[in-house]
Amino acid sequence: MRKVYLLILITSLLLIFSCSMLVQGQTKFNDVTITAFCDAGHNALPFEWYADEFKKAGINVKLVTAPFGNVYEKLKSEFVAGTGAYDVIVFFPLYLGEFAGMGYLKPLDEYAEKYDPHLDDIAAGFLKLYDYYAGKLYTLPYDGDVLSLYFRKDLFNDATEKSNFKKTYNKELVPPVTWDELLDVAKFFTRKSGETLAGQKLVSDFYGYSFLAQRGSFAFAWWLAEFASRGGTYFDKDMNPMINSEGGVTALQRLIDVLPYCPPDVFAYGYDELKDALVLGRTAMCLQWPCIWKKGNDPAQSKIVGNVGVTHVPGVMKDGKLVYRAPMPCGRILAVANASKNPEAAFYVAKLLSDDFSLANVSTTETGLDPYRKSHFNNPKAFSGFAPEKEAAEYLAAIDNNLTYGFPDLNLPGSAEYIDILELHLGKAYTKELSPKEALDAVAKEWDSITDRLGRANQTRIYGELLQSWKEVGLID
Amino acid sequence: MKEISTNVLIGKNKFAKLITFPSVFILIITVVGPFAFLLYASFFDWNLTVPAPPRFAWFYNFGLVFKDLRFWNAFKNTSVLMIAGIITQSILGLIIAFLLNRNFRLKKLAITIIALPIMVTPVVLGFNWRIIYHEHFGPLNYIIRLLGGAGSSWIADPKLALFSIFLVDTWQWTPFVTLILLAGLQSIPRQVYEAADVDGATGWQTFRRVTLPLLRPMFVLVVLFRTIWIFKIFDPVYILTGGGPGIATETLSLYTYVSWVKYWRVGYTSALGIVQLIIMTIIAMIFVRKIMRRRRA
Repeated sequence: MRKVYLLILITSLLLIFSCSMLVQGQTKFNDVTITAFCDAGHNALPFEWYADEFKKAGINVKLVTAPFGNVYEKLKSEFVAGTGAYDVIVFFPLYLGEFAGMGYLKPLDEYAEKYDPHLDDIAAGFLKLYDYYAGKLYTLPYDGDVLSLYFRKDLFNDATEKSNFKKTYNKELVPPVTWDELLDVAKFFTRKSGETLAGQKLVSDFYGYSFLAQRGSFAFAWWLAEFASRGGTYFDKDMNPMINSEGGVTALQRLIDVLPYCPPDVFAYGYDELKDALVLGRTAMCLQWPCIWKKGNDPAQSKIVGNVGVTHVPGVMKDGKLVYRAPMPCGRILAVANASKNPEAAFYVAKLLSDDFSLANVSTTETGLDPYRKSHFNNPKAFSGFAPEKEAAEYLAAIDNNLTYGFPDLNLPGSAEYIDILELHLGKAYTKELSPKEALDAVAKEWDSITDRLGRANQTRIYGELLQSWKEVGLID
Repeated sequence: MKEISTNVLIGKNKFAKLITFPSVFILIITVVGPFAFLLYASFFDWNLTVPAPPRFAWFYNFGLVFKDLRFWNAFKNTSVLMIAGIITQSILGLIIAFLLNRNFRLKKLAITIIALPIMVTPVVLGFNWRIIYHEHFGPLNYIIRLLGGAGSSWIADPKLALFSIFLVDTWQWTPFVTLILLAGLQSIPRQVYEAADVDGATGWQTFRRVTLPLLRPMFVLVVLFRTIWIFKIFDPVYILTGGGPGIATETLSLYTYVSWVKYWRVGYTSALGIVQLIIMTIIAMIFVRKIMRRRRA
């Protein structure tokens, strides 16, 4: 009898063991732990939301965050020290050229073939400009940033305001289509406390326009918007700086001209300050990232719910045609560190976030993540929690359109320094320390010296490849 | 007198060397090692943004430092903060120390409250003042507007930004100066004042001829410490303005940080560090000499 009991016990144990092996076999990975890096705040939330989903795939994800402004320093420090601290990283395409060029990132083509992150679903411009480098896939998108013009619909639709605008400017009050018009509209809406705006007596000063000017927060993109629409690029094919061309100076002069119609502390505006200026009702218009539409329609965060209008960035008339280019600053991407001990698991997490869970991530007010896939743009229903489906469709169409005419960040080795020098001198021009021409000439001089220091031949070759990819997506002629 | 044998002395000497060895070793690892690397790196044209090997460049980086307008701007900002900070904090500190040197109720509590700013972590302090200076929601502008003023863009206006940092530094470090000077005041013997009184000295004469000369060593100490600390000022500047608007508030330590972790110019930043070290050593030597001369006298 004892032998029978023993036999039953052994058989039961074997059965349990086999079952557990079977269950384990269903997971893709065998209880591996990887470390993820993302800038701190609302955009890191999906890593926490889907922790259980990652676990189901046999992956434990430890999240490390750093402030938005320190992402480059933090990642670069770890890469230089060769710590192998992170497996999957979220960063900005501005640094793609340097990180991929220095060999810090793992090419993902092999994994993409195995796990299919639906690359054909990604907006063409974003995929080509921000996910590929030197012909290899290095990243997957996480946040489809592009600037658009956001405005107060209630103000633009107000009958009195419309009539007053027509009396003053002899034209209809509509969201500005060109940069010249933007200046007029900004001036028109700027009012002092005590004056009336759309039938309401103002209790504090109101401004026509706001822009982002805080150094280190992609502030250059607010200048780039007009510069690029005037046909400007960062360098010519021989790596001679083009920023101090006539278009660059005009674009900078425009921002200086619009300053009287902006809040006085606009020089300190980063993302939050600019968002608040619009959604808390202190400004009539601004160029912003797409998430401002979601935040502006969230009663918990906004005073202008239902009144956030969106359209393409202003442009310039060329041969009777309107030409505009929407900068694509920031735009988070997911990559796998070359030093990762579990690159496949890291890629799988990136794939889940960039593809499987992406619609939920970009259509909630809890993140600042923005659409980047065709399946996002074609799904206004997912965004109808903030506004009627028709308005959501208009919003998505506007973003999609701006992405189609998008203008990329400079993702070249040393881009952090190139852009920092540019933003520094933009600041000097805003504060009238230098004239626009002097400021941009100084940038050009410094850019030349950076290029020489980093190796002109190599930089020219890499920039040539970038230009080629921009040509392929029709950004430049 | 009992003679100590040479063997015992040698043995003691060896033992002394042995027990200091761990500290010397740690010093070599943590101070001499990095300094040697800094010196070595300063002679190379070395960038970590491109995969190019370092190139020996003699004194090229040092030449660049002196030609770099941004270095001189940072030097100017640091010097302004240093001179304005030390003068203001010394005067304020002296006044508060005098007030605290009297006997009154709750004196201990007053000293504790005055010392609080020194204990605040600089990063926390930076964030607190960022809120205080906020154009729209900040209490400072709120109070100014209540009093009929217009309020200012404290950290966004290039004309005000450096002054705003100076205010924060003064708020945090005046208590330190106060405590040092208070200790100095309390160490002055009562008899000295009694003698001055007997000689018919007025209050001002006693202050000028007795108190100030006797406080002088404390002032030298205050100036030495504050010079070194303001020379290294980083956290409040980084948090409040990030060196901006433009480079209006960029200090030497912030520029060094940017040059290293934003631009990854290893050689140039090392030279920048060496230059600062030389400046600081000269300043420290002047003060230390003053203190030593006083002591010998």
